[in-house]
Amino acid sequence: MNLEWKAALDAVVQHPLFLIGLTLAVYQVAVAAHDKTRWIILQPLLVSSAILISVLVLLDIEYATYKEGTYLLSLILGPATVALAVPLYLNVRRVRQILWPILITLFIGGFFATVLGVALAWLFGAEEMILQTMAPKSVTSPIAMLVAEEIGGSASLAAVFVMITGILGAMFGVELLRFFRINSPEAQGMALGMIAHGIGTARALQENEETGAFSALGMSMMGVLTAILMPLAVALIT
Amino acid sequence: MLLRGLSWLIGFQLLGTALNVLFFPVIPGPIIGLVLLFIYLLVRGNVSAPIDEAAASLLRYLPLLLVPPAIGVMAHVDDIQADFWAIAGSLVLSLVISMVVIGWLMQLLINRQARKKGEQ
Repeated sequence: MNLEWKAALDAVVQHPLFLIGLTLAVYQVAVAAHDKTRWIILQPLLVSSAILISVLVLLDIEYATYKEGTYLLSLILGPATVALAVPLYLNVRRVRQILWPILITLFIGGFFATVLGVALAWLFGAEEMILQTMAPKSVTSPIAMLVAEEIGGSASLAAVFVMITGILGAMFGVELLRFFRINSPEAQGMALGMIAHGIGTARALQENEETGAFSALGMSMMGVLTAILMPLAVALIT
Repeated sequence: MLLRGLSWLIGFQLLGTALNVLFFPVIPGPIIGLVLLFIYLLVRGNVSAPIDEAAASLLRYLPLLLVPPAIGVMAHVDDIQADFWAIAGSLVLSLVISMVVIGWLMQLLINRQARKKGEQ
C-alpha cells in the first residue's frame, strides 16, 4: 500500500496545476493573516514568498520548475502593469497641477537614490559586479535586469535586489514616511514608486487610489529614465 | 465586459512589445504599453467601463502576481551570502535614506508651489 500513496502524492505534486494551486492557497492564507492582525510586517507578498520557499525546499522543487509552473501568473503581470495607466489617468489633473515638483523630484531624487545605493555598496567593500548590479535596483525588475546586464552586472541577481528593495519598501515605506511627517499622498506615492517600483505601488494602492496613482507615475518614469540614462552615464564614465 | 477590457490591456501590452523590438530595446513591453494606454486615455478623455473593470480586477491581485518573481531570491542564496553585509547594509540604508529624501523633496516642492499660488 505504501507504494501507491507515494505514487498519488507524486502525481499531485507533478500536476501542472499544483504549483499555481499552491501559490493561490498560500497567498490567501497570507492575506487572511494580514487582514486579521494588521501587522505591517505581515505583507502578503513577503509571507507568501517565505512559506512558498519553505514548501519548495521541503518538496525538493527547484526555482526553475516553480517558475515554469507559475508561468500563467507571470503572464498576467504584463497586462496588470499596463493597467496601472488607469489610476494614473484618473489623477491626471493633479499630476498636471504639480508637474514641476514631479519632474524635479524625478531627476534629483532618482539621481540621488541611484548614486547612494552604489556608493554605499562600494563603501561596504562589495565587488564591482555587485556595484553594477546595485545601480538599477530601484526600478521594475525587467528594466533592472536588462540594464544590469548592459552595464556589466548580473541580470538575475539584479532581480533579487529589486525584490528585496521592493519588499522592504512595501513593509516599512509608508510608516517610515509618516514618521518623518511626509503625509501627502503625492509625496508618499512618488517615494514608494520611485524606490520600491511595482511592489511599492501595490502597497500604495492599499493606502488609496491617489497614492497608488503617484506611485505608478514614479515607478514608470523612474524605469524609463533609468533605462535611457544609466547605460549612457556608464558609457560616459568608463 | 471583463473580457473586453482584458483584451484591450493585452492589446496595449502587445503593441508595447512590438515597439520594444522596433525602437526601444531597453524599455520592456508592458511599460511601453502603460505609456500607450495612458496616452490613449488622455486622448479619449475618460476610462471606458470595460477597461476600468479589467484594470481594477487585475490591480487587486498585483501582489499575488509578484509572488513568482519574488521566489527568485531562492536561486541566489550563495551570491548573497558571499557579500551579505555589504548587500544588506547598502540595500537597507539606501532604501531608507532615498525614500525619505524623495518624499521630503516632493512634499517641500508641492508646499512651496501651493504657497506661491496663494501669494499671487
